[in-house]
Amino acid sequence: MKLIRIYISVSMILRMLIRRSIVLILFTIIPAVFFSIVALTTSNRILPFRLASLESEVFIEVSEKEISLLFFAVAVTGFLVSFLALNLIQKNNEANRRLIICGYHPLELLLSNLISLLFIIILIAVYIGLLSSAFFSFNHLFLLIFGLLLTGFVYGCYGLAVGSIIKGELEGILFIVLLVNIDAGWLQNPLFYAEAQNQELIRFLPAYSPSQTAIIAAFTDYSVINAGINSLLYGSCFLIVAMIIFFNKMKIQK
Amino acid sequence: MILRAENIVKSFGKKKILKGITFEMNEGALYGIVGENGSGKSTLLKIIIGELKANEGKVMMNGSFGYCPQKPLIFSQLTIKEHFKYFSAAYGLEKNNSQLNADYFLQYFNFEKHRNDKVEILSEGTKQKLNLSLALLHKPDLLILDEPYNGFDWDTYMRFWDLSDELLKKGCTILIVTHLQTEKKRFNFIFNLKDGYLT
Repeated sequence: MKLIRIYISVSMILRMLIRRSIVLILFTIIPAVFFSIVALTTSNRILPFRLASLESEVFIEVSEKEISLLFFAVAVTGFLVSFLALNLIQKNNEANRRLIICGYHPLELLLSNLISLLFIIILIAVYIGLLSSAFFSFNHLFLLIFGLLLTGFVYGCYGLAVGSIIKGELEGILFIVLLVNIDAGWLQNPLFYAEAQNQELIRFLPAYSPSQTAIIAAFTDYSVINAGINSLLYGSCFLIVAMIIFFNKMKIQK
Repeated sequence: MILRAENIVKSFGKKKILKGITFEMNEGALYGIVGENGSGKSTLLKIIIGELKANEGKVMMNGSFGYCPQKPLIFSQLTIKEHFKYFSAAYGLEKNNSQLNADYFLQYFNFEKHRNDKVEILSEGTKQKLNLSLALLHKPDLLILDEPYNGFDWDTYMRFWDLSDELLKKGCTILIVTHLQTEKKRFNFIFNLKDGYLT
């Protein structure tokens, strides 16, 4: 394992990502356009709901617009990061394999991809966090960004796992869009969750802990530690699956 | 002996592609593998370089090798210069050596003017020049080339053979998968892959 190889690989991976115009379009246009649509179409009626992840019965009151914007921030972070993670792992598979034949160790390439993903997660979480502050007011910006980072981590690892298992790009995107839309965009939103049947099932979906972190950070002063740890554990499961599959796919006979 | 393959057997599902391939290669010689489409030539190369695992048999190799795949396996969003840097890191080349070798092949194959161009805008022939140059970059002892001159113009094609002669004189061994029966006289040894066997 050589650091210089990892450094060169990370710089090449990031260059390739930045040079893809679809990445820049997704990154800049989608969040701004969708935030605007949500802001223009949701009402300001106040909704009382209980925070599901806190042990004590904590009820908060937030407007429909604010809660919708917050969950859109979570969903768009999840979508963008998992799409880019899918790209990282799926694109250039054969050329990456050639690099391994030429001397790169699969772990060096895997680490390079993970470092690049971390960079992407930080960039997107900070951007969406700052953009959110332009659309609605909340209590803790840094903790909200932390919640978005965790969303990025969980969904980034999900994207890596999907990309490792599924070969086709279109199929991979479908898996991502479906889950992000149903999970982060819909089921975790208190507008649905408060009256949902089988709430236990919803708690096992990927966006549960990160969205709870974001909502606690945005609208309360309670601790986000438990939700944060659960997010890290959840994301790590996807990460392990992705790493095992990637490593097995990439290793060559020496 | 630079390479020895012993009793290589490879199946995909129930279809047996290679049924027990044994051959040996020595330093400073040009070897060819010919055979019909789908006869298993590329599969055999992939087993030799370690990309595929044989069901049976083993490959022994002395020294470094360079591999040029049939289809250019390169990164469409990177420039030619960045490819040389990326692959130099893979080979573990010093910066100076890497620069010298890259400059040499850029000039030799006459694609220096594209040094800073992204691969996605290059012609197929220029992509193939890069594909081949990446296999040669670290001056390997054994070159394994899968139809390396696809898309070359006549001048580059002739330059390729001149370079091969030069490398052979220096003791490099070259193994080429080819369709071109007209080039048979250039080879020291030719293996014909037919029905899973080498003749």
